[in-house]
Amino acid sequence: MHLPGITRRDFLKAVGVTTAMAATGTLPPVLYAGERRLETYPEKADLLLLTARPPQLETPLKYFKELITPNEALFVRWHLANIPTSVDLATWRLVVHGEVENALSLTLDDLKRFEKIEYTAVIQCAGNGRSFFDPPVFGGQWLNGAMGNVTWSGVRLRDVLKRAGIKAGAQEVIFKGLDNPPLPTVPGFAKSLALDKAQEDEIMIAYEMNGRELPLLNGYPVRLVVPGWYATYWVKSLSDMEVAARPFEGFWKKSAYRIPDTACGCVEPGSTPAKTVPITRMTTRSLLINPQDGSRLKAGRPIELMGVAFSGGYGIKEVSVSVNGGQDWRPARLGKDLGRHSWVQWYYPMKPQKAGSYDVRVRAVNSIGESQPLDSLWNPAGYLWNKIERNTLIVV
Amino acid sequence: MRIRLLFILMTICAGGAAGAADLHRITLPPPTVSLKEGAGVYVVRRYCSICHSLDYITTQPKFPKAKWQAEVAKMIKVYGAPIPEESVKVISDYIAAYYGTGS
Ligand code: HEC
Repeated sequence: MHLPGITRRDFLKAVGVTTAMAATGTLPPVLYAGERRLETYPEKADLLLLTARPPQLETPLKYFKELITPNEALFVRWHLANIPTSVDLATWRLVVHGEVENALSLTLDDLKRFEKIEYTAVIQCAGNGRSFFDPPVFGGQWLNGAMGNVTWSGVRLRDVLKRAGIKAGAQEVIFKGLDNPPLPTVPGFAKSLALDKAQEDEIMIAYEMNGRELPLLNGYPVRLVVPGWYATYWVKSLSDMEVAARPFEGFWKKSAYRIPDTACGCVEPGSTPAKTVPITRMTTRSLLINPQDGSRLKAGRPIELMGVAFSGGYGIKEVSVSVNGGQDWRPARLGKDLGRHSWVQWYYPMKPQKAGSYDVRVRAVNSIGESQPLDSLWNPAGYLWNKIERNTLIVV
Repeated sequence: MRIRLLFILMTICAGGAAGAADLHRITLPPPTVSLKEGAGVYVVRRYCSICHSLDYITTQPKFPKAKWQAEVAKMIKVYGAPIPEESVKVISDYIAAYYGTGS
């Protein structure tokens, strides 16, 4: 992305709402007040710009034709404008403190001496799909591109905590990164995990994405990876871990990233939930990626539909496809299995004989029977979006 | 200037100069959003760009004025936005008119 002699402006491609929509798939129920365009940020490909400070960038759907999302294409989502734009490993440390026997201050090399682990996992923003909410809600107006499937490598959080020695009575681990609030009145970004969760085998402090160091905008030098849970827990540019004796009460847990305390995490559209709880696990989802919603096909010519399906840590058991608006459902073929945290690609052969408009829907079921709703679920913060999408393919 | 030159040298000689390999730096492109001209735009520019870029406003769906009033109130109450009471109406009126449903 750093081509000599080419300025950033050369990369700027002004595209209107409709073009951007066409590039990403489905039409949201409301039009945005402003326009969207692709923009190139350092170490990143052309992504859809939501906001510049802090940067929020969305992945165009075309990248999801691949099983693994390239580092350059992964979405970017920061909360606070003072994000780290430089990290010097000579002075950077990951500190562990609080209710521990030995406080730690680790260099990246220290960290790399712990046993290395690796797996592929979907990372998805809690607000992915928020722009489809009806009635609309405030927040980042993501289409479906605030997600990706990445092979993460790093060390077990548990191993690092063990080295520090957790004191009896400790309850949670609080995670902070290198980003800072723009004004002192804005709460700094921090998340926590209960000690039991933090000590699960797979929770990772990742220093590699797809075998390479993380782009700064995705959390260089290390970020937390909590597979199966929404990305709000995957603290970027992680620098501070505090083992605490009592539950963490910070703003980003107590007031933000909460869903209604109901079985579906949803309420009557437009209403206020009586009680809320922190969002955690991802819901089950499946998407048509190719051909994209709105594509034109030739009558009589066979085509293979493809897409992705994933769920909050339980693996996908089956994906079915309907090409007639949900009347008949048939199983799709599933691609390579990279484990229960990865997404799986699905394929479905179609040979449309008659000209006309085809209503194509996809539905996934995970290994514990969780699936997707026919109608959209609604909650005030715009989380958990996973309804069965309606795609239109036009056969001519 | 001197620091910048040093950085370029360090980047070019990555691995050569001691310490260069330790530094990872990016430069963010500047925000490019510009608000439509209209009554109150100066007040919005002044107060709503203190903590984040103004595309936080322009990329939202079209909301009615009451929703924008509540959103501005949230900025003040939850994030401590230093906005004088008398500017709240000017701001909400402007956003509703140019980036919302009008009323
Ligand atoms: C004191 C700092 C501050 C000021 C000043 C401020 N905001 Fe915000 N604003 C925030 C923070 C922090 C967020 C949350 C950012 C995130 O999660 O990406 C936010 C988010 C938003 C959002 C996204 C929806 C949401 O509620 O998270 C909108 C819209 C918004 N601000 C509008 C405004 C407007 C309009 C003004 C001017 C009246 C303003 N802001 C001034 C701090 C501020």
